[in-house]
Amino acid sequence: MAEHKVTFNHQAEPVVVKSGTLITEAARLAGIEINQPCGGQGRCGRCVVQVIDGKVRQRSALRLSAEDISLGYCLACQSIIEGDISVIVPEQEKIERRLVTDRTAVEVEPPLGYSPEYHQSLKRYFLSFAEPNYEDQTDDLSRLQKQLRVELGFKDVEIPLSLVRKIGSALREGNWQVTVYLNVNGSNESEPHVCMVDVLPFHCESDSPMWGAAIDIGTTTVTLWLVDLWTGVVHAQVSEYNAQIRRGEDVISRIIYADKEGGLQELQQLVVGTINQLIELACKRVKHYPVQPEDILKLTVAGNTTMMHLFLGIPPSYIRLAPFIPTFNQAPFLRAREIGLSANPHAIVDCLPGVASYVGADITAGVLSAGLDDTQKLTLFLDVGTNGEMVLGSKEWLVTCACSAGPAFEGAGVRDGMRATSGAIEEVWIHSETYEPSYRVIGGGKPRGICGSGLISLLAEMFMTGVIDKAGNLNTQLSTSRIREGEHGMEYVVAWGEETQHGKDIVITRVDIDNLLRAKAAIYAGFLVLAQSVGVPLEETEQVLIGGSFGKYLNIEKSIQIGLLPDLPWEKFNFLGNTAVKGAYFALLSQENRERIREIASKMTYIELSADNTFYEAFMSAMFLPHTDMSRFPSVLGAFQTANKLSVQT
Amino acid sequence: MPVEVPKEKWPGSVRTITLGALPAEGGTRKRVVTVGGETAMPFMHFEGEIPYPPVVAIEIKDRKPDDWSPLLLETWRDVIDDPAQWAAAAEEAGADLIVLALSLTNRDGNPTTPEEAVASVKAVLAATGVPLIVFGPGQAEADNALLVAVSEATKGERLALGICEDKNYRTIVATAMANGHLVTARTPMDVNLAKQLNILISDMGLPLDRILMDPTTGALGYGIEYGFSVMERLRLAALQGDKMTQLPMIVTPGFEAWKAKESKVGEGVPKAWGDWLNRAINWETLTAMTLVESGADIVVLRHPESVRRVKAAIDELMAAKAFVS
Amino acid sequence: MALSGIQIYKLLPQTNCKECGFPTCLAFAMKLAAKQVELSACPYVSEESKAQLQESSAPPIRLITLKSDGYEIKAGNEVVMFRHEKTFYNKPGVFAKIKTSAAEADVKELAGRINDYRVNYVGIDLEVDGIAVEDDARNADKMQKTLSVIRSVSKKPVMLFSDNVASIEAGLSQLSGETPLIGCADSENWEKFAELAKQSKAALAVIADTLDGLAELSEKAKAKGVEDLVLVPKGKNLGHELILQSQIRRLALKANFRSLGYPTLAFCQTHAQIAQAIAKYAGFLVIDQFAEELVYPLLVLRQNIYTDPQKPIQVQPGLYEINNPQPTDPVLVTTNFSITYFSVANEVEGSGLPAYLLVADAEGMSVLTAWAAGKFDAERIAKAVKAANLDTRMSRKRLVLPGAVAVLSGEVEAELPGWEIRVGPREAVDIPKFYKQVLQVN
Ligand code: SF4
Repeated sequence: MAEHKVTFNHQAEPVVVKSGTLITEAARLAGIEINQPCGGQGRCGRCVVQVIDGKVRQRSALRLSAEDISLGYCLACQSIIEGDISVIVPEQEKIERRLVTDRTAVEVEPPLGYSPEYHQSLKRYFLSFAEPNYEDQTDDLSRLQKQLRVELGFKDVEIPLSLVRKIGSALREGNWQVTVYLNVNGSNESEPHVCMVDVLPFHCESDSPMWGAAIDIGTTTVTLWLVDLWTGVVHAQVSEYNAQIRRGEDVISRIIYADKEGGLQELQQLVVGTINQLIELACKRVKHYPVQPEDILKLTVAGNTTMMHLFLGIPPSYIRLAPFIPTFNQAPFLRAREIGLSANPHAIVDCLPGVASYVGADITAGVLSAGLDDTQKLTLFLDVGTNGEMVLGSKEWLVTCACSAGPAFEGAGVRDGMRATSGAIEEVWIHSETYEPSYRVIGGGKPRGICGSGLISLLAEMFMTGVIDKAGNLNTQLSTSRIREGEHGMEYVVAWGEETQHGKDIVITRVDIDNLLRAKAAIYAGFLVLAQSVGVPLEETEQVLIGGSFGKYLNIEKSIQIGLLPDLPWEKFNFLGNTAVKGAYFALLSQENRERIREIASKMTYIELSADNTFYEAFMSAMFLPHTDMSRFPSVLGAFQTANKLSVQT
Repeated sequence: MPVEVPKEKWPGSVRTITLGALPAEGGTRKRVVTVGGETAMPFMHFEGEIPYPPVVAIEIKDRKPDDWSPLLLETWRDVIDDPAQWAAAAEEAGADLIVLALSLTNRDGNPTTPEEAVASVKAVLAATGVPLIVFGPGQAEADNALLVAVSEATKGERLALGICEDKNYRTIVATAMANGHLVTARTPMDVNLAKQLNILISDMGLPLDRILMDPTTGALGYGIEYGFSVMERLRLAALQGDKMTQLPMIVTPGFEAWKAKESKVGEGVPKAWGDWLNRAINWETLTAMTLVESGADIVVLRHPESVRRVKAAIDELMAAKAFVS
Repeated sequence: MALSGIQIYKLLPQTNCKECGFPTCLAFAMKLAAKQVELSACPYVSEESKAQLQESSAPPIRLITLKSDGYEIKAGNEVVMFRHEKTFYNKPGVFAKIKTSAAEADVKELAGRINDYRVNYVGIDLEVDGIAVEDDARNADKMQKTLSVIRSVSKKPVMLFSDNVASIEAGLSQLSGETPLIGCADSENWEKFAELAKQSKAALAVIADTLDGLAELSEKAKAKGVEDLVLVPKGKNLGHELILQSQIRRLALKANFRSLGYPTLAFCQTHAQIAQAIAKYAGFLVIDQFAEELVYPLLVLRQNIYTDPQKPIQVQPGLYEINNPQPTDPVLVTTNFSITYFSVANEVEGSGLPAYLLVADAEGMSVLTAWAAGKFDAERIAKAVKAANLDTRMSRKRLVLPGAVAVLSGEVEAELPGWEIRVGPREAVDIPKFYKQVLQVN
C-alpha cells in the first residue's frame, strides 16, 4: 500500500504513514497531541487543523464554514491521508473562534442618520432677554413664557414649581442669557406636550453633550447605558445585580414580598438604589467629559411588568392572580424626583409600555431593537430570562407569550450552577467511549460551577453519548465511575474535587437534569403554542432572534440538540444580547422609535398559556431529548444515530 | 342521488405482532395470536383493512389474590389456588390469551422467589395452549428479578413480559431481547409518554414489532375518557405515519373496573346502583367495549361473563366487513 | 368549514381599535375561531366579511330540542369526529322504553321508577332523560292510555314509536304544548308522519338501513316542511351500525352534506350497543330494559365521554380523611384534578395507611400542569392549609408535597412557619414505600 509523508507544524522530520490513515493517527506518531474531546467522532470540532499543502479526503466537515474549508481547515479525526501533506495544528484558542455555531452578541452604534434636532424629544434652546426696567414690568415667568411662545411657538409649556423657583436667579446670574431644556412630546398634527426640564444660567456650547440614560430593570440584573443625546453615542454601559434579589429570586417571590408590610417600599428603594449606583458608576466611566448624575435629563426604562410596578412603587399583587391583570401597562411621564432617582430632579422618566402581566416593556423594547415589527420575514424572537418570553410574527401581526422556564439557564436552581462569570464551566465535551468529560472554564482557571451555556452543552453531550437516555435517566449500565448514586439519586461527575477551585466534585444530578428538561421544554412548548395559535408551522420561521442574559454567547448547535431551539439551519439564528436595554436606547434617542414601541405594545396579541391544555400537551411532548416528535429534529436524529451507531427502524 | 362517503386513505398502518410460538418455531403453544395490522380506524372496514380482530385475555394470578372483589373470588373459587387450573378454566371461558400476574409475596407471605415464579409460569404453559403474557408484581426490583428468571426459563416461547415503565425498562427489555420474548410498555394515559417509552425501548435495540404498548386506562367513572382519547389519538398518529405509535395496544379494563368501588363493594351503597354482581360485570363490560371502540387490540378482563359479551361484540364488529364490501 | 384565527383576522379591519373588548383584532379573531365571542361585538366588519364569516360558522349538524313541561333535551351541533379535537357538546338523551302492551299498573310503576331515578356521581346528579313509548300493541287507545298514565307520574320528554300513524296521533293528543319525538318514518309511511310532525311541531325520526335511504327520507320530509329530524340508521349488526353512524357524522362535518346533518338515534339492546352509541355519535339512546345496575354505568359513561377534554373534572378542594387519621398523621397535599386525586386517594386507601389528603384548588389541573401554569404554588398550598384550619387541628405539623414539585419546598416552608415540609414521591404508587422509608410509619 502506498505510503505518504506528513509534516506537522513545519517540523523538519515528516512522519510516514499508510494511505488511508487519519490525520489524528499521524499526529500521534509525530508526538503531537490533538485534542479530541468527543472521542474522534467529528462532533465537537475541537480537532480542527489546517492543511497548507497537499490534499486529504474529508469524511465530514461538520462545523466548518465554506470559508474555513477553502482555507484548508479540516477535522483531523475525519480526514484521511491520501497523499503527502503539510499540516498546521492551531492553538486551541484560535480554534474556538473558528467554530461556526457560537453566537456572540454584537456591539452598538448610534443609528444611521441620527439627528438630535429631528429625532430627539429633548430640545435645547438658547434664550436671550432684554433686561426689565420700570416700563417693562413683566414678571420673570411671563417673560420666559412669552419668549417661548413668540420665538419657539410653544403656547403651553408645563413648568414645575421647583423650576419656577430657579428662574429668577438663572436669568440674573446668566445676565439674561439662559439655556432651557424642553421635552417636546407629540406628533406634528396635534399640539405637542411641552414641559421644561431645566434652565441654566448661561448659553452652553451648541454641540456639548446632553445626557440621557437607557435602563433595563431585569429580575436578576439591571443594565444602564449612559448616552449623549446630541450625538447618540453610548459613553458607558454598566450593569449590576438587582439589589431586590435578596428579597426573592424570581418575580413571584418578589410579588409575595411586596405584599408584606413595608415590602413594596423596600423593594422600590432597593431597585432605585441599584439604578443610582449605576448612574454614578456610569458617570465615572465617561472619558473626556466631566459628567454628574444631575446632568442626566432624560431616562427611558424597560423592564418586565412586575419590575416596572416595583420601580414605581405600585402594588404588583394582581399580576400573579388570575386573570392576571396588571395595574398599568403604560405609565405617564414622570420626573426623576418623584421616584428618587439621582439624575436631575426634573429629568423626564419615560417608562416604556408593556402588553400584559407577563409580557412587559422589556419585550416591546426587545421587539423594537430586533426590528420584528418592521420585517417581512416570519421571525421568532426569544428573550431568555427567569421567564422565557417570546414573540412570533412580522410586520403584519405579532403574537406573544411567556412561560416560566425557571432560572436553570441562568445557572440557578441547579446544584452546581452559577452565573456566567469567571470560574464557570461554559462548555463541555464528553468522550463517546470513555464517558470522560473535558471542559472550558471562563477565565481559564479551575472551575467553581457550571453556567447556563455550560449546562446546555453538558446536557447535549450526555444525551449524544448515551450517558442519559432521551428521557434524562442516567444509564447506570455504563462502565464509568462518573455515574454514581449521590445524595439525591443518580448523578454524573463533571469535575473531580482535585480539579476544582473549592475541592469538591462538580456534578449534575437527576434533579438538575429534570430542571433543565423542564426549562427547555417550557420554552420550546411556548414556540409551538405560538405557532399553533396562528396556524403557521414552526419550521416556516425565517429567522430566530435571541436576546437575554445567557452570558456573552450561546451555542446554537447544542441548543438544538437538546430541543431548546427549533431545528433550523444555523444561519437563521442571531444572538442579540440584551435587547431590552437596546430598545430603551432606541426609544431614548428618537420619538419615532418611542412611538413604534407604543404601536408594538398595542398590536401584540398576548396568548395566555394557562387558558387551556394546549401548552401542557406541547410541554409534555418537549419533555424529551430532543423531542417526542423526532421528525421535528431531523438533524439531531441523524447525529444521534451516527453517534450511537443505530440504524433507523422501518 | 347516491350518497358518496368520503374515505380516509391513511399513509400509515399498525404493525402486526404475533404472541406465542408453535413447537416448530421453538415454543410449545398450540395456537399463536396475531394482532395489529390495521390500516383504518377501528372497524372502518369500508376504507381500510382490519386484518385481525381484537383479542380478549383473562388475567389470573399465581396464587389466590388478597385484594380482588369477593365476586371474582367466588367466580373462580374452584381453581383460584392453582394457577394451572385457573389458566385452564380461563382458556375454557374463551380467553384468547392468558395474563399471569405474579404476586409480590407467596402464599406464606414471603417474597415470591424467581424459582416460584418460573414454576407458576411453566405450570400455566403446560396447562394451556394459548399464548401467555407475564406481568411482574409492579415493583422495580421484584419485577426485574422475577421476569429475568421467567424469561430465561421460557426462551423462545414469545411471551410478552411486562411491565416496562419509563423508570424501569432496561432490564426487562434486555432479557426479552436475549430470549426472544416481547415486552409491554406501560405509560400513564398520555400520548407523549407512550411515544417516549417506545422510543426509549427501541433505542435499546428491541425491534418495534416486539413491543405492545399499554397506554393505561381509567375505569368507567375513574378517567376512562382519558384512556379513550389517548388511544384514539395514538391510533390516529399511527395511521398518519408516526412510526413510534404504530404498535398494537393492550389495556387492562378488568383490573381497572374491578378496582372501582362499584365493583368491589356490595353493601352500604346507594340503591340507585342496582344489583351488585350485574353492576360489576356491566362496569367491566362497558369499560372494555368503550376501549375496543377506541382502538384496543388486546383487552385484559377478569370475569367470564364480560369475556363472553365482549367477544360476541367483537365478532359482530368484524363481521360488518361483509356489509360494506 | 371553520376558519382559523389568522384567516378570520384577514377579514377584520385590522385597526386594533379595541372596541370589541379585545386588545387587538387578532385576539378577537382567535376568540371568534374558538366560538367564544359573537361577531357582532366588532362594529366595523364589512358586510362582505360578515357574510363569509357567518357562512363558515353555520352548524353542520342541526340542533334538535325535545321539550316537555320544564324539560329540554338537546342533540346535534357537534363539530368533531374525535372528542380530543375539541369536545362533544350535547350528551345523548337517554330514554327508557315502555310498551303499550304492558298493564296499566306496570306502566305506572315503571314510569315512576324511570322518572325518579337519580344517582350521584362526583357531586353531580345523573338522571334518565325521558321515556320512549313503543306501541307494540299497535293500538291507538292503548297508546293514549299509556301516555296519560305516564303523564300522571312523569313530566319528562317522551318519544312515540309506532308504525300505526293513528296511534301516534292518539299519543300526541296527551302532549299538547310539548315537542316529543315521533317515528319511525320509513319509505312507506313517511308522508303521513311528515304531515303529523308538521302539524304537531314534533320532531320526526326517519329510519332506513342505508345512507341513501336516510338522505332521501330527510330530503322528502324537509320538502314537506319538517325541519327537526332525527336519523335512525338501521344497521345489520353492531359493526354495521358503527360504520353508518361514523359515515353520517363524517358526511355532515367533512362534506357539509346537509341531508344527513341531523342527530341520530340508536335503539340499544346489548351492553356493547350502549357503549358504542355513547362513544360513537348517537344523539339519542333508547334502552330496551330499565335496570338500575345498567343505567348507572351508562349515565357515568355518558358523563365521562362528554366531559370537555380541555376542562377536566374537578373534585371539591378541601381536607379528606383516609383510614381514620389522627392529628399526628401526615398531611399529603395534592391538586383538585380528579384523576390526580383518585390516584393518590386510592393508593393511600389501598395501603391502609392513615393520612389527611389536602386538596388544593389548582383549577382542576394535575400537579405538573398546575405548577407550570402557576396554579399550584406555595401560596395556594398555604391557603389550603389555613382554610382547613390545620394549624390548630394538627398536633404534629407534617406536610408532604408531591415529588413533582420538590422545587416548592423552600417557599412552602417560608409560607408555613412551624410546619415540617417533606417532599413525597413523584408517583402515587410509591406512597406506601415513602411512608415506610421516609416517614417511618408502618
Ligand atoms: S372592534 Fe373590530 S376593528 Fe376594533 S379591535 Fe375589535 S376586531 Fe379590531
